[in-house]
Amino acid sequence: MKVTEVELPEEITPDWVSREHSGLMEKSEGGTLRLDCHRLRKLDALSLAWLSHLQESLEKSGRRLVLAHLSPELKKDLAKVTLPEQEKPEEQESHGLLERVGDSAMKFFGEIRDTLVLLSESLYWSTFALFRPKTLLREDTRIQMVRLGSTALPIVLLLSTLIGFTLALQSGVQLQKFGATVFLASGMGISMVTEIGPVMTAVILAGRSGSSITAEISTMVVQEEVGALQSMAINPIHFLVLPRFWAMSLCMPLLTVCSAASGIIAGLVVGFLFFRLSPASYLHELKDAVTVNYLGQALIKSLTFSWIIALVAINKGLNVRGGADAVGKATTSCVVTCIFSIIMADAVFSFIFYY
Amino acid sequence: MNETVKLKVDHLRAGYDGHVVLEDVSMHVAAGEIRIILGASGCGKSTLLKNIIGLERPMGGTIEMLGNVVDWSEGRPTNELMRRIGVLFQGGALLSSLTVGENVALPLRIHNPGLPMDIVEELVRLKLEQVKLGHAYGKRPNELSGGMRKRAGLARAIVTDPELLFCDEPSAGLDPVTSRGLDDLLLELRDSLGITMVVVTHELDSIRTICDRMTFLSGGKVIFDGELEEAEARGPQEVKDFLNRKPGEVKHTGRTVVFNLEDG
Repeated sequence: MKVTEVELPEEITPDWVSREHSGLMEKSEGGTLRLDCHRLRKLDALSLAWLSHLQESLEKSGRRLVLAHLSPELKKDLAKVTLPEQEKPEEQESHGLLERVGDSAMKFFGEIRDTLVLLSESLYWSTFALFRPKTLLREDTRIQMVRLGSTALPIVLLLSTLIGFTLALQSGVQLQKFGATVFLASGMGISMVTEIGPVMTAVILAGRSGSSITAEISTMVVQEEVGALQSMAINPIHFLVLPRFWAMSLCMPLLTVCSAASGIIAGLVVGFLFFRLSPASYLHELKDAVTVNYLGQALIKSLTFSWIIALVAINKGLNVRGGADAVGKATTSCVVTCIFSIIMADAVFSFIFYY
Repeated sequence: MNETVKLKVDHLRAGYDGHVVLEDVSMHVAAGEIRIILGASGCGKSTLLKNIIGLERPMGGTIEMLGNVVDWSEGRPTNELMRRIGVLFQGGALLSSLTVGENVALPLRIHNPGLPMDIVEELVRLKLEQVKLGHAYGKRPNELSGGMRKRAGLARAIVTDPELLFCDEPSAGLDPVTSRGLDDLLLELRDSLGITMVVVTHELDSIRTICDRMTFLSGGKVIFDGELEEAEARGPQEVKDFLNRKPGEVKHTGRTVVFNLEDG
């Protein structure tokens, strides 16, 4: 039988094991690995774990490990080695495709149910507050309006202006081919007011304010702050949900107006600079095109989107279980769910308004 | 001591997601008593507390607090009942977005929206003074040490003058001096305000300072219910070992690796 001789160093270090282990396993292919231990001075936890692992691996593949010239002290240490029983890997329950789809569907509908329950409770407490104004947490609502709405204004304006520029330039070039640049105003007005303004604002707020709501509430859950509220007989819906729900409901339509206005102004600038469209004719055309009907659509959309963001974000936050990693997962999930729901809702609105 | 029972737990069965943690737990807490719920980590102390204060719904059994059976018909215990109890959470559970003063004022502000703010402030300062945190009124929770946060949590728990106070590990993680200070404070509150207390802890020094009676949990069951002296004299061996800081027997299991040795 082939015998491979290897001399061990004075000390078995992590570097030495990383460097030599796979080489030793290969060298001892089909025979005996004889480790000369005469230089070895100590057997620490790493050495014992490595030698035990080597012994068991070689044994499993029909090979043999021999330790030669081990000092009497080290032999004593070696005799003490007891390794923990190897745990049998838990058998993973295999789920069929149908079962997985079913699970996901149940989870999805469960989340929709929770969100609707939250919506009904929010509307109930909002109505209640109208009759008992003293119960309304005005100061908290104001703080949330600043935090979730006002501070989002610069980014909403910037992005809407840039999109307005792009949209106006691209559609202006196409319209110019037919000598119809005058319709740039109506195109910009309708698209910014009914589509880009509400959707763009909602997507920005979902990423910015929705994630912030989820992170804040889920951290409160993890730190037992929500439990503390319940133990003080303070309804978390009243205390945490209502100020955010109202703040989003009030801020979103205002931000949508700002978004649409900045996009339309960007269109006016593009029309004037690149397509010789006078501001007066742009505004005249705009006034004729953007009717009250379109403004109503924008208002309905922005209000619905604000409820989606607030309720999804709060629901994700309140249902978090676990620690810091759960907070991260809930925040990511909130943004994805909000954006998906906004786009879904937008598609449904298009169907309702245009067919 | 007034023998009126303030808290009655009968045959409580509790757990999470179908997993049973507590089985057939019963205890009666008399008025003015400081009851310690004791046991090794993972024995179900916090689960018992969460079930009593309504943060988790029991799987079975009944809980009667302040003469009212806890009613779960509306999803959680009634607000009227919850307003008569106070809870000190392990880390204080102060709302980080509010100052210490605002935290303590919160139950008053929410439940009594008509109460003038200067009266609320006066009351809050009084309670903060009582827990020796008068200087922390305008501070944020993150500016306080662990012990101060717990004391602020205690001020919030007692601001509505509860009849029953629950404390979850009040002295956990505190240095011995601060821990002793908190124990003295609990005794002072019991003596001056007559508050009945249920304290979950496994800090032996605290137990020796504040305990009137103790309920010892092991493996989700009550294995002893009585006074400390009785536990030390005639309690089950597990309780005696726990109180004497004697570790339980640790069984070493494992596999022995046999090496081939060669000399010369």
